[in-house]
Amino acid sequence: MNRMSKLLSNTWVRVAVVVVVAALLLIAPLVLPVFANQTLTRMGVYAVAVLGLNIIMGYTGQVMLGQIFFLGVGAYVTAYGVNNDWNIVVTFFAACILPGLLGLVIALAAARLGGLAIAMVTIALPIIGVPLAKRLTDLTGGSQGTSARFSSAPDWTGLDNDQWQYYMVMVITVIGFVLAYNLVRGKFGRAMAIVRDNEAVARSIGISPYRYKVMAFTIASIFGGASGFLYMVAVQYTSPETMSFAHSISLLAAMVVGGAASIAGSLIGGVYYVLVPQVTNAIDPTVTAISQGIILVAVLFILPGGLVSLPRVIRRLTRKRDTAVATSPQTTSPMHQDAGQAAEGPETERQGQS
Amino acid sequence: MDTFIQLVIDGLALGSVYAALALAIVLVNQSTGLINFSQGAMAVLSAYFAYVLIGWGFPTILAILGSIVVSFLLGAIVERLLIRRFEGGDPDTAVVVTIGLLTLFTGIAGWIWGYNNRQFPSLFPLETVDILGAVVSVRSIGTTLTIVGIMVVLQLLFQGTKLGLALRAVAINPSSAAYSGLPVGRLLMIGWGLAAALGAVAGALVAPALTLTPGMMDTALVYALAAVIIGGLNSPLGAVVAAWGIGVLENLAAVYVPFIGYDLKIAVPFIILFVVLLVRPQGLFGRKVVVRV
Amino acid sequence: MTLLELDNVTAWYGPVQVLDGVSLSVPDNGAVGILGANGAGKTTTLRAISGAVRTGGRITYDGRDIRGLHPEQVAKLGIAHVPEGRGTLGQLTVRENLRVGAYLRKDRKAVAEDLDYCLELFPNLKDRISSSASALSGGEQQMLAVARAFMARPRLLLLDEASLGLAPSTAKAVYEAIRRLRLESGIAMLIVEQNANLAFTLVDSAIVLETGRNVLSGSSAELKGMDEIRRAYLGG
Repeated sequence: MNRMSKLLSNTWVRVAVVVVVAALLLIAPLVLPVFANQTLTRMGVYAVAVLGLNIIMGYTGQVMLGQIFFLGVGAYVTAYGVNNDWNIVVTFFAACILPGLLGLVIALAAARLGGLAIAMVTIALPIIGVPLAKRLTDLTGGSQGTSARFSSAPDWTGLDNDQWQYYMVMVITVIGFVLAYNLVRGKFGRAMAIVRDNEAVARSIGISPYRYKVMAFTIASIFGGASGFLYMVAVQYTSPETMSFAHSISLLAAMVVGGAASIAGSLIGGVYYVLVPQVTNAIDPTVTAISQGIILVAVLFILPGGLVSLPRVIRRLTRKRDTAVATSPQTTSPMHQDAGQAAEGPETERQGQS
Repeated sequence: MDTFIQLVIDGLALGSVYAALALAIVLVNQSTGLINFSQGAMAVLSAYFAYVLIGWGFPTILAILGSIVVSFLLGAIVERLLIRRFEGGDPDTAVVVTIGLLTLFTGIAGWIWGYNNRQFPSLFPLETVDILGAVVSVRSIGTTLTIVGIMVVLQLLFQGTKLGLALRAVAINPSSAAYSGLPVGRLLMIGWGLAAALGAVAGALVAPALTLTPGMMDTALVYALAAVIIGGLNSPLGAVVAAWGIGVLENLAAVYVPFIGYDLKIAVPFIILFVVLLVRPQGLFGRKVVVRV
Repeated sequence: MTLLELDNVTAWYGPVQVLDGVSLSVPDNGAVGILGANGAGKTTTLRAISGAVRTGGRITYDGRDIRGLHPEQVAKLGIAHVPEGRGTLGQLTVRENLRVGAYLRKDRKAVAEDLDYCLELFPNLKDRISSSASALSGGEQQMLAVARAFMARPRLLLLDEASLGLAPSTAKAVYEAIRRLRLESGIAMLIVEQNANLAFTLVDSAIVLETGRNVLSGSSAELKGMDEIRRAYLGG
């Protein structure tokens, strides 16, 4: 394990790994069957949605339960644009900006009340979104849903549709991940982390928690809208069901299982979102929800940093066995709190109530 | 005028269901500082318990009472085994746990009883009475009176008994309460148990109207959360009044505001909520909570 | 007879060690002070006795080892703790706070008598009996905290900085009342105090802590005579 991590820390090895992975991703659709390509494409779609959720929830520490709503809005905007012959680039930006604006307005109100208000308000988004989409028949096609065929492979490429869709989604997903990576590693990301860890400290050094929460929420909804566009690329059809309450919860579960406050965790989250229901549905559709609940609760208990923290945890365990020295374990939890402290019991005085 | 009275009373009944769930949420928040997003899903499980008991031949009222008892135990066990570990830590993590439980409990209900709608008998007769010329269902009146009764009982419990005093003390400052010998852990379990029992009442009240499905309470949960924010997180009375207000207003809006109609009336509490958040962020009845560093 | 004995007690907050070998003993009916600068471990010593922190060493109370017990179990044994920051329950009324203090007692009549005694000892509380604790002044809240602890009828009272944040005259009045309480009830006391002058009005002996361990101990008279004590804690 140790030799392995030493090997990975070598820059050239890293570059080589990236090149190999990139090559595999590029070649994969040419050799894989249609179904596998479609699955991979959908993983990209949801990875972008989870990535957006991670920005508000993982990096800024605000529980958000309505990300699927922004995906749905993005999908509807895309369908509307395509069916009204908008330019595809215009359609894409509209699919990002309109959900972004909606997110901005919602955040301006919800972020005013501290604590869990954002969670309590955003849980309503899919529940209002579904009947609203059914009602606005002219825009959404009502309960029937609406389809938009715009992602068939152009003749000059010589590709099949599934391959072309794969490449479209992959390009936008990669761009989204690069943007998010730079965002969370820059000044903005540090400010978000301070807001998450301690709002009072943030205020004392001139960072407005309110403003950063609103901005992070808006960015999250823009990513949500972009994933809605990708959803239309991959599926070419959307209906009110796309943004159902259950999907909204699943998206949050995917983020936690993948790993909060982690770019790689978002990717794992996208894989999880697509893969696990596919497996459980194949076994027995009635166990899908219960298995998701079990997995989420189990991850929170055993692996609070999500699957992305698994290598770190394994490395720590093996190192412990090697040296037999008990170092104080540094656990990361979904919202970056010290799990050990939480276990100590009713020590803390409840804030502001005594 | 007849329609109006009818709508108001039906709205109160509707609001009463939200109120029961909202009270449960306030109760948990007061005792542990958390928002339990699985409160609705726990209420669904409670309703299925009652459904099973009815299937075994118990009278409806006994079945519901039985499910209230079982729910109390379920709530206490959930607190002890699942929530305890996350108390005193970051509330957001604990909230994610309750969201996990929401999925888990919904999943359990779906796994055991499937996703088909099941009929659940009403506790109240399906008759109507005449009030000021309006035809009002006995069920609506019964539902509303049930919540009024629960409010009175809770008020007596919290203001008039030693247990109620202890629950309030632990909610305010658990570590200080422990210095006076209060069994903090057991009191937290009781708080969660009471909340789950309240949820069982909500489940039994809503199931006859909506028919029993694993997702039955999803919408009610959203209403209850809105009521809790509007009424103020630390005010049981505020939550109930807000829940009634929501029930009445949405019923009126559904009929008198053509664009809203019955399908979009769920937007009503959130329009109210937006206004409240912008004007009075601590809720209508809540006290301003000052967060210390 | 020794009521409470600490032998080489250590304590941690997470990985941080705050106590590094504290020893002291409180006799039956006695009053002992813990002096020391900020961060010396005074408050933690009391929290260690109450079981509110992870602790090593030996803590013997009334002949039995109480280390590792939970705060509520420690309270049941007759140790009442007035914590740092008073711990009054803000939204509860003064009367309710006192009733919480008597939570473990079943003898209603005696509880009522003790409540009257508290109100006689702290007349300020009598006028505010139905107002919420958060509406009280700092001095009144401190009196309420002491009265609430007394309502448990403990054998040992742990008192953490009863003078903190109070005007000198108020602090003196609070200590005067506590002194009377000690004389009339015979409750043993262990008192953390930054203001050594105030502490010496109450205690028979004291220990001095520095960075989590004993550096000095002695009777009040001995300590008052020592130059370093005078310089460090008595203001000249």
